[in-house]
Amino acid sequence: MHRFANPGRFLRLANTLLPWCAGLAAVSIALGLYLALFVAPPDYQQGESVRIMYVHVPAAWMALFVYTAVAAASAVALIWRHPLADLVAKASSPVGASFTFLALVTGSLWGKPMWGTWWVWDARLTSMLVLFFLYLGHMAIMNAFEDPARGFRAAAVLALVGFVNVPIIHFSVEWWSTLHQPSSVLRLGGPAIHASMLWPLLVMMLGFKLYYVSLLLVRVKAELLAARLRARAYAALDAS
Amino acid sequence: MTRKRRRLIVVLAGMALLSGAVALVLSALDENLSYFYQPSELSAAPRGRAIRLGGLVEEGSLERQADGVTVTFRITDLAESVPVVYQGLLPDLFREGQSVITQGTLGPDGTFVAREVLAKHDETYMPREVVDALKKAGQWRGGQEGGGKGTQ
Amino acid sequence: MSAFARLVARDLRLALRQRADAGMVVLFFVLTAALFPLAVGPEPNLLARMAPGIIWVTALLAVLLSLERLFLADYEDGSLELLALAPLPLEATVLAKALAHWLTTGLPLVVAGPLLALLYNMDAAGLPMLVLAMALGSPSLSLIGAFGAALTLGARRGGVLIPLLVLPLNIPVLIFGVAAIDAALAGLSPRPHLLFLGALFLVTLVTAPLAGAAALRQALE
Repeated sequence: MHRFANPGRFLRLANTLLPWCAGLAAVSIALGLYLALFVAPPDYQQGESVRIMYVHVPAAWMALFVYTAVAAASAVALIWRHPLADLVAKASSPVGASFTFLALVTGSLWGKPMWGTWWVWDARLTSMLVLFFLYLGHMAIMNAFEDPARGFRAAAVLALVGFVNVPIIHFSVEWWSTLHQPSSVLRLGGPAIHASMLWPLLVMMLGFKLYYVSLLLVRVKAELLAARLRARAYAALDAS
Repeated sequence: MTRKRRRLIVVLAGMALLSGAVALVLSALDENLSYFYQPSELSAAPRGRAIRLGGLVEEGSLERQADGVTVTFRITDLAESVPVVYQGLLPDLFREGQSVITQGTLGPDGTFVAREVLAKHDETYMPREVVDALKKAGQWRGGQEGGGKGTQ
Repeated sequence: MSAFARLVARDLRLALRQRADAGMVVLFFVLTAALFPLAVGPEPNLLARMAPGIIWVTALLAVLLSLERLFLADYEDGSLELLALAPLPLEATVLAKALAHWLTTGLPLVVAGPLLALLYNMDAAGLPMLVLAMALGSPSLSLIGAFGAALTLGARRGGVLIPLLVLPLNIPVLIFGVAAIDAALAGLSPRPHLLFLGALFLVTLVTAPLAGAAALRQALE
């Protein structure tokens, strides 16, 4: 683990991985969209509107996945003082906020024709909105201090406290009588979704995940290079 | 009291408080939290206050009134059923046999006056041909959609 | 007198010397709540129906007012560093601060709540539940607020940042606090909502001092 703490080693690793991740992300999202929009059959009840699901569900999964990654990186940063973990948390939260926003918007677009409303204040939708606010708070506090290191640590504490919301979001559809339907893929007794619709969904899922990893690599790389530039500028200032 | 001992007591107290919180939540989850009722629970519901009534739209109960806006139907939980009256647009997924959630108030004559009708979708995603094939083979177990015909 | 009690007493004494601060919070609470009837119109049924929600939302906002100062004065004059070095654990310090905050803002709001309910024509049958729900919920607001205040200590625009961090965390208290009063007004059992409020209090009682102390340590590093 600590082998990756070295920024130089990380940069080399990122440079090797990035083209592969980004390329595979582009290919799988393109393939996933093609499968979802043209190949997958319309649903027996929802008709063509079911195609929104191929963006909505992966985005919602990624919203939770990225928050989990932020919380895990924050724990590593607080316990082992791992500088790279701070950068991972900082680079991830805007991406996670975007996924959350995408899930909220696509869900709303699906909800109007299917449920008959853009929005209901049920437990799933409300807890997802809270997740969005938590991401925004994380981003705000990260940049609120003169000393960036203090911003990192305050944001890490907030990310860990906010993690209680993640299981609430996941189980909200089982604990409360929500309008939102329960999980179709991860459930007892196997997926309640036909294979012809499950495959495009899984391809989109893979694409979104690789897209996140590529963005993460780019953003962490940029943070590291910016830190190097700052260090060089200070050194030049000292020398003069 | 040594430092270690004090720390132990604090940790134990914290654990006790947290397990107390879990016990409270578990005991609270036994009860109706969200003004959500099914037809057979409706006798316990408050009159005149907005509540949510959920269940299946009873087969053959949907009627459009002559004015073209008002619809009446019955919501059932297979034990009891309640007449519902609603004015407005119905969502795409609204069908006889489909699960719906309505919001409104219970009138004095036992009719539920709905302000909003939302169709609840279950977690099943299937192409139509597969559903037809399953039905033909007698293996369709789709709980709520009892083969009701579309209404729109 | 233990160190914990002395710390609470010190904060109360400070608050007493600046009575205007505590009074301002209650004034804000009443004033904001008085705006709604003027804005939505004085229809009694509508106001009575909205009363629990408006009282809780304004209470949530009023609690925010005094949060920024919670640790700031001690941070600026250096006494927070002494408190961190004292034998009393920093977690207990956070707890003491939150308790003093609740006594000076939460408790006055609990007292002022029923008055507002009367202004809103709320059914008097709901008043005991209003007091009970606010008494059970407002300590959680102080605890969560103390965590938020510790987290933003020394931040630029800390006063703007605190609401952004604290309000989303307060949402569960709002939901169950309003639901308990609504249930009592509708003649239903408020028990599950009160149990949830109690559970929230216990959880924040454990986590807020821990997280707040962690945040304070970083501010002092």
